[in-house]
Amino acid sequence: MDDINACRIDDFGPLSLVRPQSVPQIGDIVRRAAAEGQAIYPVGGRTLLHIGLPPARPGVAVDLRGLVQVLDYPARDMTVTVQAGITVAQLQALLATENQRLPIDVPNAEQATLGGVLATNVSGPRRFGFGTLRDYVIGIRIINDQGQEVKAGGRVVKNVAGYDLCKLHIGALGTLGIISQVTLKLRPLPECTSLVTFGCETAALDHLLDQLHATRTRPVCLDLLNRAVASELRMDLPETPWVIVVGFEDNNAAVSWQVRQLFQELAHEDIQGLEARAGSASEPLWRSLVEHTASGRRLTFKANLLPHAVSSFCRQAEELSASMRLHAHAGSGIVYGHLDSDLTLPRVAAMLKELTEAAVRAEGNLLLPRCPVEWKRELPLWGHERGDLWLMRQVKDKLDPQNLFNPGRFLVGT
Amino acid sequence: MSSLSTITLIDRLRTIVGREGILTSPSELLVYECDGFTIEKNKPDVVVFPTSTEQVVQIVKVCNEWDVPFLPRGAGTSLAGGCLPVGGGVMITLSRMKRILEVDYRNRYAVVEPGVINLWLTNHLKPQGWHFAPDPSSQGACTIGGNVATNSGGPHTLKYGVTVNHVLGLEFVLPDGRVACTGGPTEDNPGYDLTGVIVGSEGTFGIATKVWVRITRNPEAYRTLLGVFETVDDATNTISDIIGAGIVPAALEMLDQLILQAVEAAFHFGFPLDAGAVLIMEVDGLEAGLDSEAERIIAIAKKNHAREVRRAANEAERLLLWKSRKQAFGAVGRLAPSYCTQDGVVPRTCLPHILRQIQRIGEKYNIRICNVFHAGDGNIHPILLFDERDPEQVKRVLDASREILDECIRVGGSVTGEHGIGVEKIDFMPKLFSPEDLAMMMRLRAAFNPEGRCSPRKMLPTAGACIEPSKAGRRAAL
Repeated sequence: MDDINACRIDDFGPLSLVRPQSVPQIGDIVRRAAAEGQAIYPVGGRTLLHIGLPPARPGVAVDLRGLVQVLDYPARDMTVTVQAGITVAQLQALLATENQRLPIDVPNAEQATLGGVLATNVSGPRRFGFGTLRDYVIGIRIINDQGQEVKAGGRVVKNVAGYDLCKLHIGALGTLGIISQVTLKLRPLPECTSLVTFGCETAALDHLLDQLHATRTRPVCLDLLNRAVASELRMDLPETPWVIVVGFEDNNAAVSWQVRQLFQELAHEDIQGLEARAGSASEPLWRSLVEHTASGRRLTFKANLLPHAVSSFCRQAEELSASMRLHAHAGSGIVYGHLDSDLTLPRVAAMLKELTEAAVRAEGNLLLPRCPVEWKRELPLWGHERGDLWLMRQVKDKLDPQNLFNPGRFLVGT
Repeated sequence: MSSLSTITLIDRLRTIVGREGILTSPSELLVYECDGFTIEKNKPDVVVFPTSTEQVVQIVKVCNEWDVPFLPRGAGTSLAGGCLPVGGGVMITLSRMKRILEVDYRNRYAVVEPGVINLWLTNHLKPQGWHFAPDPSSQGACTIGGNVATNSGGPHTLKYGVTVNHVLGLEFVLPDGRVACTGGPTEDNPGYDLTGVIVGSEGTFGIATKVWVRITRNPEAYRTLLGVFETVDDATNTISDIIGAGIVPAALEMLDQLILQAVEAAFHFGFPLDAGAVLIMEVDGLEAGLDSEAERIIAIAKKNHAREVRRAANEAERLLLWKSRKQAFGAVGRLAPSYCTQDGVVPRTCLPHILRQIQRIGEKYNIRICNVFHAGDGNIHPILLFDERDPEQVKRVLDASREILDECIRVGGSVTGEHGIGVEKIDFMPKLFSPEDLAMMMRLRAAFNPEGRCSPRKMLPTAGACIEPSKAGRRAAL
């Protein structure tokens, strides 16, 4: 249990914890820390604080959950401007009153703050149909290394004035400043939602995913679960080596046509337990799919691949460890793997090396969002080094020359 | 530059791109003195046409060696002076790097060189039932490299997003000649989203030489509606009600009476010339459910006193309707010898207000203004009609434009939705952004372009140099 005035990140700390209630207070904290040579570690709901390496320097943890104001919600413009400490659940509840949403899936939404979700670029099963945060953030305010609040973008849905710093902060793990305020583009809640599930044997997997790629329907979710995940969810999914989940969200007519159409397309395929859950009956499974990516306890990897390689990658991963739990957003080429068994570091390192090579061959990479702290410096947490790292370092050096924000934790600013 | 050093520089450049890849005579350079923003003009010292990334790298290195500014150019369709060679120097035209290098339908991406024309790519993908979603009205001419530089939009970006939503990665020549590859065909690559911040940087970060773009499946069906309204207010209220009802049309475009007359004379679609405004309203997607969506839109239009709502009866009619819309600017020549268009954005609920203000401002400055724009995004394109041979008219046009954009800022909008800041709107940046905001953008630019040699004096106002619109060398500042 954390001390109320302290916070640990990995095995580092305790860091003294401050809880600013306003933007000027954050500015003061940043200036004071900069003057004293202290680092700054922004934290939100701490649902993903395990991502990244341990802090490199002593400093202060800045809890942003005091910044919860809704500054502007012109629902008829389908935009909203809020402070970054608001939880995603609070935000979605507000949007739902106007029949709108941010179509980004966030695990632990009751705790997760919008700022934290941006910093870690959270996404889930619906990303296949709705994209990711970079498609929804249209304006941002940041407390920079000088303690000034600076903005980019604006409050209108289409805007090319100035550099789009919004993009830079999404997924930057808070290394370029503290996100204080966000303006989002929104979508209407769908009239209808449905999930189609079925199981298959390993031999049929490649063909089925290719088939789904070419379907006449337009899925918003195309997830793949291995047997371990499917049974763990306790959602009465088929007990086959693989389970495929196809999601639709649209108006009633379009969703029911798509479910019928997909059933027809799959009629002669080698599958088992084909089933559709519509409306509220689909909600528990949707929720499980969203929450499951965060379900790792010991070690979780995330691979990003060309979508066609998902099937072979998953088969390779399962051969490496029978206890591997695999969940892929197959349409987008994203694969999460969870390993909770007692494996030794050399064994894990060898497995990850093999999988990283496979991911790189599929034009992607493999990251470790979660692993035991004592392994963090031994394993390639941020994946295979890519050719643009030097340019990222130049950006970091210009925007945070003192390396104030989250030093040591990201792949730049170490 | 002295003539001697120019000659030596030209010789060096000629050895890189060959005799066929360089223009130096004043008459040839005349074409390159401006882009679609014709109010300001300045000739480059030399124009080169590289055919490979390696040539771009060598050109950039020579420019560094000679300490001359350089800038990239695609098809020159910018409406904001994005390709204006302020201060001369070397113009690097990418129109000969025009190969579609790869299309991967299974993984939903294509790799293209920057000089590929936007519409070529869509036409190339068409037989397989795919397209490249950003569709600026200039798509028959503009290049994908230019789309990347300006983060172009288009009518269908209302539903499908702008260029940045469809760019996955870049091969990029930095202003010092180094080459970086950002992003790529896969999503969620680790680290900063450099691709996302390079898109829309208007050539001030370097030169894209290869672009990984997302490709999109064509909709199965369309319903394209033409709503005819007695007044502009009725049309804009309809737009606001459609968005407010949670409908996401594929496109929602408005044309007012004055532009309708020009468009009708040019394309003979059969627009009602006495209407106050028309809306082109398109929904697309699966066939199932599309009719009920179209019915909802028709009901909203009727509630807002639409005189009639016509449906495009077939694909030919739909295409003619879109041709009339996308080539509307070409028809403006029927109304006046010169025009300049603005690109302001307002919250969609402010459309009725801003259009009334545009009318008021037109009357105040005695300038005729017509409107054809991306209504669903709140992105206005008032077209100010004038005769550029009359300096007094030019001044009134500039003043009226400024007042329109100031009003966009006042209601919480922006001065550009898709055309870019370029040189045209630099003076508005301090109105939209604080000195601290601009300083942060300057720091970001310094990470890519520390010497400022690539596309100098674009987008960000130069510190301490307040440019007067009347100054020589800067003939206008809309």
